[in-house]
Amino acid sequence: MNDFSELEAELKRLRPAPASAELARRIERALEAPEEVPTAGILPRRRNAAWWSLGLGLTGLAALLVIGLTFFDQPPPSQGVAAVGQKPGATPGFQAAGLTQVVYSGRDEGLVFPPNDTGTLRRRLHYETRETMRWRNAQTGASVRVSYPVEQVVLTPVSFQ
Amino acid sequence: MESIVSHEDWKNCFAELAPALLLFARRWTHSRADAEDVVQEAFVRFWRRQHSLENRGLLYATVRSAALDRLRGEQRRSRREAVASLDNAGHCEPVFAPGDEGQHLLAAAIGRLPNEQREVVVLKIWNELTFAEIAVVLEISPNTAASRYRYALTALKKVLQPHE
Repeated sequence: MNDFSELEAELKRLRPAPASAELARRIERALEAPEEVPTAGILPRRRNAAWWSLGLGLTGLAALLVIGLTFFDQPPPSQGVAAVGQKPGATPGFQAAGLTQVVYSGRDEGLVFPPNDTGTLRRRLHYETRETMRWRNAQTGASVRVSYPVEQVVLTPVSFQ
Repeated sequence: MESIVSHEDWKNCFAELAPALLLFARRWTHSRADAEDVVQEAFVRFWRRQHSLENRGLLYATVRSAALDRLRGEQRRSRREAVASLDNAGHCEPVFAPGDEGQHLLAAAIGRLPNEQREVVVLKIWNELTFAEIAVVLEISPNTAASRYRYALTALKKVLQPHE
């Protein structure tokens, strides 16, 4: 570095141009102004994101609920699979290969009060889904698919604690 | 480490630091007006957070960050692309106060240095940062900062030798 000491001294003699007075005034104004809190830009977005997440979560829960009710609580859907499955069953070798349920709309229609204040207070949930059933013939590889819309109303008991 | 500086002190601090800050900001901007905008934003941000003015490295890092944010906003490019475009631009020469003919030559020679070498020289000579501090500001290693500085001074020396 000693080789450059003379050059460094020359460089230090060069003075950067001073800042304008206007810049100092601008900074003064900026420092006097209240600090911009980024809540205006950030919090609403977070809030929107929270609502969006909540919506997705509720939709997922609704889907799980409907699937659960369909497969475990309500005998008619399983009978339906069997019943529809019997149609291709006319052709031997077709077996049920799957059932898909997609919930594309779900809404809470509010509380349902029992008549004459008897019974249990319930919440009415309305789901619109599309079910797709598939049968497959393992021998020939042929498959049959049936898709249809389903509207379902679920009444869930409400309890107060 | 952090010291709270009273609001009245900012003018003195700014008067002392502003020329070198502007010189540094010119590396990231295309005009003096843009450099002033960047320095204003960085200085206000730094002052409001009440960082210690002894931490010069952080102040220059704030300037660099503000400048890159500005570039990204303007050009809608990534940070690396923005830096690369400035490297190719070659028209953001430092501005010095008027001096004698030798100083004009030296200033012109500094302006012809590659950007990455010039910014190290600016931080080392006029801002008196150590190589370790320069490394933090520019996100490079101290060895790289030192070698860029050495290359820059070697180049300047070659340019100036015929005139000495």
